[in-house]
Amino acid sequence: MIELLNVKKIYGDRTVLDIPKLSFFEGEAVALAGMNGSGKTTLLRIMANVLKPDSGSVTAPDNILYLPQKPYAFRGSVIENILIGAKAQKEKAQELLFKAGLSALSDKPAKSLSGGEWQKAALCRILIRPCKLLLLDEPTAALDAKGTELVSGILKEYKENTGCTLIFSTHSPSLALSAADRLILLRDGKTEADGKIRKDVDKPETEWENLFL
Amino acid sequence: MESFKQAFDLLFSLDKELLQILGVTMRMSFFSTSISCLIGLPIGALIGTRRFRGKSFLKKIIHTWMGLPPVVAGLMVYSLFTHYGPFGKLNLLFTVTVMVIAQCVLITPLVIGLTSSFVESTSRPIIETARGLGLRSPRIVRLCLSEGRMSLLSVVLNAFGRSIAEVGAVSIVGGNIQWKTRVMTTAIMLETNKGKFSFALALGIVLLIIAFIVNAAASWIVKEKSDD
Repeated sequence: MIELLNVKKIYGDRTVLDIPKLSFFEGEAVALAGMNGSGKTTLLRIMANVLKPDSGSVTAPDNILYLPQKPYAFRGSVIENILIGAKAQKEKAQELLFKAGLSALSDKPAKSLSGGEWQKAALCRILIRPCKLLLLDEPTAALDAKGTELVSGILKEYKENTGCTLIFSTHSPSLALSAADRLILLRDGKTEADGKIRKDVDKPETEWENLFL
Repeated sequence: MESFKQAFDLLFSLDKELLQILGVTMRMSFFSTSISCLIGLPIGALIGTRRFRGKSFLKKIIHTWMGLPPVVAGLMVYSLFTHYGPFGKLNLLFTVTVMVIAQCVLITPLVIGLTSSFVESTSRPIIETARGLGLRSPRIVRLCLSEGRMSLLSVVLNAFGRSIAEVGAVSIVGGNIQWKTRVMTTAIMLETNKGKFSFALALGIVLLIIAFIVNAAASWIVKEKSDD
């Protein structure tokens, strides 16, 4: 189980995250939603241990993978980027690229890819590694509807194969509906709502659900 | 104009003493820059990439050390290598070796400080991405150094520039001995003291030409590597 207790992050006089208690269960798929500045990225960065909270504690497994909102493209080709520091074989990388529709770009310099192409390639770079907790910050921000659907499928497959816990932030209701089974809505650094996601888009039950969907 | 003419005449006349001075200057600058970078680049990158207690205090010390007056550095090294100093038995005073040591004392903090500042300010996305991929610190440091090689080249050239232009420390520990420890800057100082301003200026121009060639060559090499 992943648990956050009394986690606070303050920048100057602004409290960007204030979570008294938040738990995630093993194997869960959770979507974090909320307006810009609601604390989604801060929460993910704290869980990924790339940002230290000002107070509170985070209990999480050791094997965590985290995809930042703007993942960095290292020098070299797309395939070289995917295999960087990974134990996986080139064939597996090529298989992932094929699934993401990027086979033709595997030998192109990573820095030459468009925003959407690179977002999918960066996701492949993450998904070639096994993990217990997968954290993704707006993994489809640069993608169109078709790309979002593709990513959703890839994520579900990865989750099935590894049994990992998946937590991602998104502004896309379709990604949340298709890839998550729990939705947490953040506002001003606090959890405004937290519940099982409903698949019926046309009939939102609560105000917050309505707001996001 | 007379100085420029004299500078080119000096360069093309292949004057033995000038070539010897140039040789000592280049040898000293090359070794001090190389040693300082070998020590300073990884340490700077490590400080820039890691979060640890006392980091801010350590950076203050490094920044203070970066402003160390060369004469003070020279005196410190002199007191260590003088006959009665702790390393006096090594008999290194007034040799090129001790000049390199004095230069390292001056340049290493500069390399550490500039590298850590660069890594901290520009490498956040690299570090965050690499940490997100579960990479360990040595690998992250290598990635930061590799991705930022153009900026790091300016750190190296900065170090080389400081080394080749330095006069205070090397004159104290080197003694400006003809045919032995005389370098371009100490030769310029000597010629100025003798009243030969035109000749001193010509030596200065030669020094600038050499620095320009080294800068251009280093930039070209890094650019070629980047294009590979």
